[in-house]
Amino acid sequence: MSLVRRHFDALIIGAGGAGLNAALQLANANLRVAVVSKVFPTRSHTVAAQGGVNAALANVLPDNWHWHMFDTVKGSDYLGDQDAIEFMCREAIPTVYELEHNGVPFSRLDNGRIYQRAFGGQSQSFGGPQAARTCAAADRTGHAILHTLYQQNIRARTHFFDEYFAIDLIGDDEGAILGALIMEIETGEPVLIESKVTLLATGGCGQVFRTTSNAHINTGDGMAMAVRAGVPLMDMEFFQFHPTGIAGKGMLITEGVRGEGGYLVNKDGERFMERYAPNAKDLASRDVVARAIVTEVKEGRGCGPQGDHVLLKVDHLGEEIVSKRLPGIRESSQIFAGVDPVLEPIPVFPTAHYVMGGIPTNRYGRVVVPVQNGPEEVVTGLYAAGECACVSVHGANRLGGNSLLDILVFGRAAGQDIIEYLKEHPNHRPMNEAAVERAMARLGRWEQTGEGISVRELRDEFRKVMEDHAGVFRTEEIMAEGVEKVKALREKLKDVRLQDQSAVFNTARIEALELENLIDVGLAIALSALGRRESRGAHSRPDYPERDDKNWMSHSLYFAEGDRIEYKPVRTKPLTVESFPPKERVY
Amino acid sequence: MSRRLTFDIFRYNPNDPKSRPRTERFTLDETEGMTLFIALNQIRDEQAPSLAFDFVCRAGVCGSCGMLINGRPGLACRTLTAALPDTITLMPLPAFELIADLSVNTGKWMRGMSERLETWVHLEQAPEIDALELAMEPEQAEAIYELDRCIECGCCISACATARMHPEFAGAVGLNKIARFRADPRDRRADPDYYQLVGDDQGVFGCMGLLGCHDLCPKKLPLQTQIAHLRRGMLKSALGKS
Repeated sequence: MSLVRRHFDALIIGAGGAGLNAALQLANANLRVAVVSKVFPTRSHTVAAQGGVNAALANVLPDNWHWHMFDTVKGSDYLGDQDAIEFMCREAIPTVYELEHNGVPFSRLDNGRIYQRAFGGQSQSFGGPQAARTCAAADRTGHAILHTLYQQNIRARTHFFDEYFAIDLIGDDEGAILGALIMEIETGEPVLIESKVTLLATGGCGQVFRTTSNAHINTGDGMAMAVRAGVPLMDMEFFQFHPTGIAGKGMLITEGVRGEGGYLVNKDGERFMERYAPNAKDLASRDVVARAIVTEVKEGRGCGPQGDHVLLKVDHLGEEIVSKRLPGIRESSQIFAGVDPVLEPIPVFPTAHYVMGGIPTNRYGRVVVPVQNGPEEVVTGLYAAGECACVSVHGANRLGGNSLLDILVFGRAAGQDIIEYLKEHPNHRPMNEAAVERAMARLGRWEQTGEGISVRELRDEFRKVMEDHAGVFRTEEIMAEGVEKVKALREKLKDVRLQDQSAVFNTARIEALELENLIDVGLAIALSALGRRESRGAHSRPDYPERDDKNWMSHSLYFAEGDRIEYKPVRTKPLTVESFPPKERVY
Repeated sequence: MSRRLTFDIFRYNPNDPKSRPRTERFTLDETEGMTLFIALNQIRDEQAPSLAFDFVCRAGVCGSCGMLINGRPGLACRTLTAALPDTITLMPLPAFELIADLSVNTGKWMRGMSERLETWVHLEQAPEIDALELAMEPEQAEAIYELDRCIECGCCISACATARMHPEFAGAVGLNKIARFRADPRDRRADPDYYQLVGDDQGVFGCMGLLGCHDLCPKKLPLQTQIAHLRRGMLKSALGKS
């Protein structure tokens, strides 16, 4: 097959907030930048972010970045790297201002400044009263940000490859990344992008679970590409279940609903969060609230005929607040849950939402792996940013409003660092044709015909296994069984055959490639979870109920080679301030 | 008793020389809370593996799943089958390039429109990252936000007779964007600038006022008012009155 080859200074895979903010820096610096996305950029999952982006602007209540940093470290259950967290919380402020200048229509206060709402895990004065740190454009903040970034990229003439699917990274024998093999979805035509630097910004992998708030497209493509290129995945055991997904459906009801005064009740009408988190109540950290809901349901206090969910009450806020501050939520509840939240409570249950782990990077977005000289050597020519990356700023649990922040700050930081990198590395390295052939062979595998298992069959089974064996509560036995099942499913991939053999616009082939990615990532989650014998943040083990700072202040690293897990220490030293030592985490 | 639903779905893959435009019929049992997203996936999984259609967020926010549902443009992911009769006809959105079956290239159209109408905030100078936000009245911010809610799904274009006749017509989505930036104090452009972009038949004066866009916008954007205001503004600008 003939192979089209294109050359760019920088290749960015993924067109969500991280990819577009990085691309904007590069295009503004007049570099040749290609953005590859499997969907039209404004369909990327950033569009679905509802609540907002955290920055200590102090527009509503007193605030500063140091308090934001404390909350983020505490929220991470002390597993976040404090240098990266300090960097993010400081950068948050100019990042939001820059977005505002570029046209994001933030909601405003009476004094004309950006509206900020309260979100879970936010405090003043290092654990004091509730803070209001989340800058919001009503309840469609991600939509507003993504569209603005895309508009600015059109102005800056970024080159887009829309509806192209990335197959594999291409590396050379020294481990440097030289670009990627991609495929045009409509025609099935492969294209080799040769780039001096490649940024993975492919977002999350919520589709590994059966019930998820994530879009159809969040299949962990970039993470799996990294794994296949020999890069480990870090902290994959930490998967956030958002407390309030629409019960049975998984669509998200933003934490902003509770920030605006909504609260959860069980079948007795009890406001049960008062028992689990006496101070923060419904605005405790997400892992805490998700566990509380699952516990209520398990202990027989769930609502509905099956007793399988709890209720989120909003009706007491009145129609005006709901319509003005939460219009999208009202719409989603009416369509997907069949209730008008102005009149009745919304049935909710935790839904797989966000992966804290990902491709290990430093705070400049450069991918770092243990090679010979310590645990954090950079991979030449490879960057990652956004949900697919793990800096790590979220540690064991991410705070609401910190994910839009993460993608924007580190997308920007990666873009800025790439500009410097390209000054020092102005030339393409020679292409590694053997690696190109390997990637082409992986793609060609899906042309085999004959009888076999369908993609759907395997995918449904896999997502059920992940939900049953890597959910909110995990024990040794359940997880060990899960690992074996996922490994068996990985073997079964060989027997999968496509029923649609057309070369052009073959969505079945894309789904098969996505399934391969999902299983690679799913195994990383299952093995990392089995490895960590403590409870920390989102990783909750009834058989090891305590956090163990003596043995487990470490990041896990999953390597596909030998399916092994290694560990590296948490970076507890911030850039300029005192370290926050681990303390018991109560809300 | 659940209903047995019949789906008549347009099939055609222009990239495949053997493919011919046709309608194929599928049936399935309706389940509780079934959306067209769920139904179409079930049909593809069980009956028609090559069936092409677009979905991303499945929650009505990304704008990728517009299609003709019993003749009316709408978002498939937030259309409940319960709201439809026993027989459901699905066709791709007209006015856009067909990719295959129900999948059309709205992205390409939107990109072209964005480039022609320069749909971004035009600043006096590159933003200063450390400068505070521009103070804005809450009502003004809300007015901008209200228009910024557009998800570029393309339903208004498919519902527009002018857009069907004139491929370069800005359409409600484009005119709404101009209205959005016109309302934004950060954008330095004034009406004479906007007149250059939409002051002709491809712009606001091409609108015949049929308002299918307004009736069918899944986000219920105030398109009728916005087009009227914009037309008045552009007319004043053309006559040299501001």
